[in-house]
Amino acid sequence: MWRMIAETIIYLIMACTSIASTIAVYLTIKEKDLVKAVIYSALQSALYTIIYFLLLTPDVVLVYLPVAVGLIPGVFLILISKTERWEKE
Amino acid sequence: MRAVEIVVLISIILGFALLLTLGYQYLVPADDIRALAKFYLLTTYFNPNYTYTAGATESVTAIVWDYRGLDTLFETTVFYIALAGCLILARGLYKEEKEASKPGSGLSVIVRSVTKITAPMIIAVGVSIALHGHLTPGGGFQGGATMAVLPLLIIVIFSLTPLIKRGFTPSRLAIIRGLALTGIGLVSIILAVIGLVLGINAYVFQSLPKPDAPLGFPSEVEGALMGGILWFFNLFESIAVVAAFTIAFIAILLIESKR
Repeated sequence: MWRMIAETIIYLIMACTSIASTIAVYLTIKEKDLVKAVIYSALQSALYTIIYFLLLTPDVVLVYLPVAVGLIPGVFLILISKTERWEKE
Repeated sequence: MRAVEIVVLISIILGFALLLTLGYQYLVPADDIRALAKFYLLTTYFNPNYTYTAGATESVTAIVWDYRGLDTLFETTVFYIALAGCLILARGLYKEEKEASKPGSGLSVIVRSVTKITAPMIIAVGVSIALHGHLTPGGGFQGGATMAVLPLLIIVIFSLTPLIKRGFTPSRLAIIRGLALTGIGLVSIILAVIGLVLGINAYVFQSLPKPDAPLGFPSEVEGALMGGILWFFNLFESIAVVAAFTIAFIAILLIESKR
């Protein structure tokens, strides 16, 4: 009984997190300001790490968190500073 | 228009959420462990009577570096080749000596102080993830990627000059990375070489002593688990990954400042 409830709660957290990450992906694609888009993308990655953790893959969490939240936004910001900040139509 | 788009998006998402909620009733994970998972759990550490054991409590690291170590070695090599290509493309576009003589600039005092406080913490977390890779989730690549956040922070907050001034130039980091990769290679073949010299049967990528090959790395030192070859691989891999990411950042930024 309690195990069932606990599992349902975990599934619900995963569902909410994946919904939020989908919204973050949508905002990333639609955003014209590339700096903001990078931040939305990092937010999506942070939400994904929660899902990975709940799916019992701490190894993936540990490699995903620094790379997707730390290194890739950093590289993107450097590249944006070298080119243009605003996306053109 | 934007509001309409968001409403459409949220309705789609809610539809998927409903599917997930319904699907949960039919998709309940089994209580018992599958046979394949059981095999790996038994052969990593949890059955001391088993002859062929990896001697590590972390199944993932044991699989990555022991069961299929050659695979991971080639992955590391591919990463190294990609980085070599990056350096070749950037060759001649910057001068390291010229960069060191520039005056340093950076963000405000608050940001600098916070970075100075967090810097040792990042290194400590990265080292613990890397060197406990055979005991807890983590490993060489994870620890290295965590530690590589620090050079990026330093570049963004203190600018590139202090890093170059302290000798972290791309050429030197490439040497460090080459040495770390050499370490991985040496660790993987050293037992086979010793076996050849002594006339004992030994394998490439051998971790612990096997019934037909008595040579091996220590399973534990002073009561602390070593995981045989895994500890060395994690150490060298983390150094290689830190050096690789730092080279990439510095090379990208140096090209920009030259232009």
